[in-house]
Amino acid sequence: MLAKPLIAAGAMIALAWSQGFAQGTASPADVQEIVNKASAAAYYQGTNGRATVHMSIKDAQGRERTRDFVILRKNIDDVDNGEQRFYVFFKRPADVNKTSFLVWKHADAEDDRWLYLPALDLVKRIAPSDERTSFVGSHFFYEDVSGRGPEEDTHVLEEETADYFIVRSTPKAPSAVEFARYKNWIHKSTFIPVQTQYYDAAGEVFRTYAAVSVETIDGHSTVVQSSMTDTRIGGTTHMQYSDVAYDVDLPNDIFTERYLRNPPLRHIR
Amino acid sequence: MTLPNMSPVNRPRPYIWAAAIFSLIMVALVAAPTFAPNTFPFLQPLKIDTDPENMLAADEPVRIFHNAMKAEFALHDLIVVGVVNDKHEEGVFNAETLTDIFELTAFAETIRWSAKDSGDAEAEQTGVIAVDIIAPSTVDSIEQAGLGSVRFDWLLSAPPQSDAEALAVRTRAQRIPTLNDTLVSADGKAIALYIPITSKDVGFRVASALRDRISTFDGDAVYYITGLPVAQDQFGVEMFRQMAISAPLAMALIFVLMWFFFRRLNLIASPMIVAMVSVIGAMGLLIITGNTVHIMSSMIPIFVMPIAVLDAVHILSDFYDRYPAIQDRRKTIEHVMRELWQPMLFTTLTTCTGFASLAFTPIPPVQIFGVFVAIGVFMAWFFTITLIPAYIMVMPERAFVGFGMGANGASPDHEATPLARFLHGVGAVTVTQSKLVVAGFLIALAIAGYGVAQIRINDNPVKWFNPDHEIRIADRALNERFGGAYMAYLALSGDQSSEADMLADEAIKRLGALGTPQALTLADAVKRDLPGAGAELFAELRARAVAARDAAEDDDAWYAWDDAALALDSAAQAAEIFKHPDMLRFIEKLQAHLENTGLVGKSNALPDIVKTVHRDLFLGEPDAFRIPDTPEAVAQTLIVYQNSHRPQDLFKLTTPDFKKSVIWLQLKSGDNIDMSAVVDSVDRFIADNPPPMAVSHDWFGLTYINVAWQKKMVSGMARAFLGSFIIVFVLMTVLFRSPSWGLLSMAPLTVTIAVIYGVIGLIGKDYDMPVAVLSSLSLGLAIDYAIHFNARSRQIHAHTGRWDETVKLAFGEPARAIFRNVIVIGIGFLPLLLAPLVPYQTVGIFISAILFLAGAATLLGLPALITLFRHTLFPERTAKCLQNPSSPPAQ
Repeated sequence: MLAKPLIAAGAMIALAWSQGFAQGTASPADVQEIVNKASAAAYYQGTNGRATVHMSIKDAQGRERTRDFVILRKNIDDVDNGEQRFYVFFKRPADVNKTSFLVWKHADAEDDRWLYLPALDLVKRIAPSDERTSFVGSHFFYEDVSGRGPEEDTHVLEEETADYFIVRSTPKAPSAVEFARYKNWIHKSTFIPVQTQYYDAAGEVFRTYAAVSVETIDGHSTVVQSSMTDTRIGGTTHMQYSDVAYDVDLPNDIFTERYLRNPPLRHIR
Repeated sequence: MTLPNMSPVNRPRPYIWAAAIFSLIMVALVAAPTFAPNTFPFLQPLKIDTDPENMLAADEPVRIFHNAMKAEFALHDLIVVGVVNDKHEEGVFNAETLTDIFELTAFAETIRWSAKDSGDAEAEQTGVIAVDIIAPSTVDSIEQAGLGSVRFDWLLSAPPQSDAEALAVRTRAQRIPTLNDTLVSADGKAIALYIPITSKDVGFRVASALRDRISTFDGDAVYYITGLPVAQDQFGVEMFRQMAISAPLAMALIFVLMWFFFRRLNLIASPMIVAMVSVIGAMGLLIITGNTVHIMSSMIPIFVMPIAVLDAVHILSDFYDRYPAIQDRRKTIEHVMRELWQPMLFTTLTTCTGFASLAFTPIPPVQIFGVFVAIGVFMAWFFTITLIPAYIMVMPERAFVGFGMGANGASPDHEATPLARFLHGVGAVTVTQSKLVVAGFLIALAIAGYGVAQIRINDNPVKWFNPDHEIRIADRALNERFGGAYMAYLALSGDQSSEADMLADEAIKRLGALGTPQALTLADAVKRDLPGAGAELFAELRARAVAARDAAEDDDAWYAWDDAALALDSAAQAAEIFKHPDMLRFIEKLQAHLENTGLVGKSNALPDIVKTVHRDLFLGEPDAFRIPDTPEAVAQTLIVYQNSHRPQDLFKLTTPDFKKSVIWLQLKSGDNIDMSAVVDSVDRFIADNPPPMAVSHDWFGLTYINVAWQKKMVSGMARAFLGSFIIVFVLMTVLFRSPSWGLLSMAPLTVTIAVIYGVIGLIGKDYDMPVAVLSSLSLGLAIDYAIHFNARSRQIHAHTGRWDETVKLAFGEPARAIFRNVIVIGIGFLPLLLAPLVPYQTVGIFISAILFLAGAATLLGLPALITLFRHTLFPERTAKCLQNPSSPPAQ
């Protein structure tokens, strides 16, 4: 099993952190609270953020494809688990250079998404639909990148270890998702989800997310390396984050349709 | 000449015991490891092989390529479930049937077994590959969603609530070229589900699970389960049915016919025993030496049986005819063995030659078949010359009271029975009308020659099933409604040899176009290192550009280096030839050409995906259903496609490096002749329309594999046949110590084979695998009668010295033996017509035809020819006076 070394890796990360955080952090009794905090830790740190991402997609045969992109994020009104905007600007492969995605993530409604394809000189609005589709051909789903709403599942605290809350989540709308349930290892002090396992109806794990490496950047615990493995199609995608920064100067109008055609060069360098 | 060994006559019991023990050991050696594999791990169990791919050796390049491509493009063996509903106006597109299909798909996704079942802890799961199922609920649809937005979603995300919703699914699916005519039938009434499985051997389990689930539906839809893995399982079942029912039935009929001729149940049991022991010996050896029971080797019993019975019938026939005169079984059997020893030995040698020659064909199952039939024939000879005399000797003497031809009256030999009188008449006619008879055969040969020229070489393993078999019914149901149920794949691979130069040119061009000092520095570096430069050069220059960019002191320098690095990366992507619009348009043209041949019902390839996504990005306008104009536009279209539920589908049509691409063809017919026509047509198209970039093309897929092994088989068979024809001729010349007698002996088999293949040509029966193998059987059987007739005629002639007297005697006992043989074996094999697989039926009907023809050619043609050429064939009357037919000179 792949899970064991990952848990071990997670435990080591946890050990490293335990020095930086107060020992007596009280564990919230309410599991929904844990999940909300985990979602905030994973997707809402700072008022905004930027990162350069190198994505390596390896298929079942070990053949590699890569994607390089810059991701800009802004929390509207600086509310955790609230309204958010994302701007994803692709640099490589060379032939998709300048392709970009714009997402307006809504807390209580389906997200708005736009796509810009420079070679076709086309800005296209993507109708709301299932968000559990591949993100640019990788093993990550669109929803893994933008975040799954904490209210979309029913959560149960299955186990509490020295370092983790192990939360089992069951979808409220099972027909809208491909999994039967998932299990999340949420680090107790940082609330970073270190590992997520997705189970099928037969109770087998078929998809595993792992936070492979976590660093503290600008005071925020930040996943700088993550992976997603899918045993059904085989292969793994690794994401490597660099040039991560929080609370930078990101004007609102970057996150508008107009900017898709005219990329904010200063912010994506 | 060797003397017959009379030891079985003198000491019969050890021979009978030895044969019995031999059979028991063989049965035990097969049964023990088959039923208790763990107790006897050192023995070879019975292994069934129904995989038509195995007609080619595992290391055959065609097969290696086939397997490599299947792995590279992640293509799996498919179970196809065709769903048809004739009761509903819109076919399956009603809420009820689509709901059932939705449920069946969801169920199919769960059909898999964990490693525990296979006993291998490291093994992956076996069963259905859920992510690759093609079904309405597992594929994506792309469509317009109002306000200029586009939607990507499941084609059928939940069971439809109304018939209108069901119809909407059809409308969406028909807009998508990769689904239309593949998932949804051309008439929009039926659906085909494609269920990939981990390996062919789980086909039966998966199909059974699907059938069980389908039986719980109460809708009006009919479900046809087919696909190669299912067909193969059926094949295995039918093979056993043939071996367990048809072959024993043939044995029973032979037994009845022998009883009709010889009237002694316990006596005629002996040829049955010889045949049984020979079949057990041949099949036993086949299995314990680790060979698989394949469609070819499953026919070994059918081939060994007639040949085994043949010699025994000669002995019994002679014995039956002589016994009334000699009235002593020991003396009779000794007389019979002396008369038949030499022809039996030679018929065995020639038959073995005919089959053993198959060892030189390039088809492994045919080689094994030939070798083991030859072994069976040899064993049949051995058991015939030992067991039959021994058996006769252990029978009580009283069993022979009243036995034999004309035993109850003392009429002359040729008037004893209607058969004797008939053959006597035939003999007389062949002498008096010899020219007419020979002319008749020459005319037959001429017509046969014309027929042979009409022969169509063709095969189709699906047609090995009877037309009313469920596999054939499903096959027709799918081919009538969909693009085609036979899959073939055309792989296009970029030419790697010119790649480095092309990339360097592209880099110089792109860097030159930038014109900045930074870009020009890199361009110079490319020019300098150009000869033999490859991917390393690009990586090195790129690293240089990125390092310089990161060290840049001002924005201008930063962007200049960044642009240069981009130009290098763009240039490197020129190797991704299947993103190039010209290349995609070439494939598009090739696809259109294929669909115009009338043989290809449907093809799926990369351009179909690109055009569909492009169209729906541009408001779904029909005008936008085209390949965009730049590689970047293609790449961006494909990035959009990969934001789907099934991004991996892209790499079933191209490799991730875009250097190879596959066109998936659905053919209406799996006939080799049609596949070959498609192959030729593609060759011509590519010769007339050179691709924009150098690519090689090659085929894979089972429909193509069949063509490959048929080609090998036809040429291999021709060589094997010619070779054994020459060897048999040499053997005949040696046997009769005369080239003219050798030549004469070849006449009946030449006529037989010519007429058989002439008829095949004239009636339009395809020259397929069983027909090809029959040439060896013809050779083996037809020569037998000629040897018996010629050898006996020469013995008689040596005694009488007169041809007219010889004919009279030859048309006594020898002709009756041949005639009885023809009837017993010729009719005895007709039960194979009831066999469930067409190859067995073909073999059954042609064995009968071969025997009747060979019998007629021998009994009519040989005496007529001898009459015409008697002065050449019996030149001098010197030596023969010294010979005594009843006691040939010892060597």
